[in-house]
Amino acid sequence: MSLLVDMMTHTLDESYGEAAARRAGDRAAHPVADGAADDGRTGWRRRAIAVLLLLALGAVTGTAAAQVRKRQAATSGVRAQLVAEVHRRTAASDALARQAARLRREVAAQQDALLRSGTVGSSVARQLSALELAVGVGPVTGPGLVVRLDDAPGGTQTDQARGGQAGAGRVLDRDLQDVANGLWAAGAEAVSINGLRLTTLTAIRSAGEAILVDYRPLTPPYTVRAIGDPRLLEPGFADSATGRRIATYTSLYGLQLAIRRSDKQTLPGAGTPALRLAKPARTAS
Amino acid sequence: MIPALALAIGVALGLFFEPTVPAGLQPYLPIAVVAALDAVFGAVRAQLEGIFDDRVFVVSFVSNVLVAGLVVFLGDKLGVGGQLSTGVVVVLGIRIFSNAAAIRRHIFRA
Repeated sequence: MSLLVDMMTHTLDESYGEAAARRAGDRAAHPVADGAADDGRTGWRRRAIAVLLLLALGAVTGTAAAQVRKRQAATSGVRAQLVAEVHRRTAASDALARQAARLRREVAAQQDALLRSGTVGSSVARQLSALELAVGVGPVTGPGLVVRLDDAPGGTQTDQARGGQAGAGRVLDRDLQDVANGLWAAGAEAVSINGLRLTTLTAIRSAGEAILVDYRPLTPPYTVRAIGDPRLLEPGFADSATGRRIATYTSLYGLQLAIRRSDKQTLPGAGTPALRLAKPARTAS
Repeated sequence: MIPALALAIGVALGLFFEPTVPAGLQPYLPIAVVAALDAVFGAVRAQLEGIFDDRVFVVSFVSNVLVAGLVVFLGDKLGVGGQLSTGVVVVLGIRIFSNAAAIRRHIFRA
């Protein structure tokens, strides 16, 4: 504590007092003004040095301030630029998605109009819509099941047993994968998650803490809709390994799960799958 | 008067020209400024108390800056640079404050 007390009480450099005492002693010892001229010159030089030091201090202070200002400007500028870029790209992407949806509807309408004109065409149209239904490109409607999954309220602690990456009370990409698989296994004919139709090429994965379906980030709650016979789907899903596991999570980690039947629901169509390399194999069979 | 003028001119020069500082020296600039400010406040107080000595001022100024820089440099090398610069700033800040209080007492007699 003495160090602190010392620091608080002896704030003035003691050498000032010592120098003053020394000067007073010198003056008392040599009252003659013999070294006065010499003293004056060195004193003048010292004063100049002191002034120069102050000038340097001012320059360094100004430089440091300028540096800090420049750095702040640089970081905030980059950040603002990135935010603006993100907003711009998101808007562009949304606009493109809307345009794609509109064009897809237009193409479908044109195709329909063209094919329905002839007898061969109408059979092709029927075949096409059946294929679209099976592939998941066209929207479908029918009875089925709605599975609603949500994170536990306020649960953020990590859990090693479930990967440890996210909170134990969070819905993971694996859970959604399992739910989708469980619904398919229980006899679902079409499945969508938060309005995104699952096709043979739809990936369910996580990036960071977000779950991506078809490479689009989702936010909880997750609503999985499946079309199928509700009387078969519900017990089939609830009795499956996945259904039991999720039910366990609800009691263990507070995950929220709600399953209800739906008499009639409409699932949107997925975008046309972009197959770049795959070609039909023409084997003689 | 002249010293105050020199200080103001220096600040103006630094802000105006924005000289490029070597990247290695940049973290020491603020510490050097605080250390030098401590010496300046001490000098002003000594002046008001009538015991100012320019030799003492020059020596305390230079040694203050060098020691503060050295302490922070060593701290950087030892991985406690941030904490040490905090310590330096706290100690010098306390001194600056109490010297400023003494100066205020001298000027306003309050």
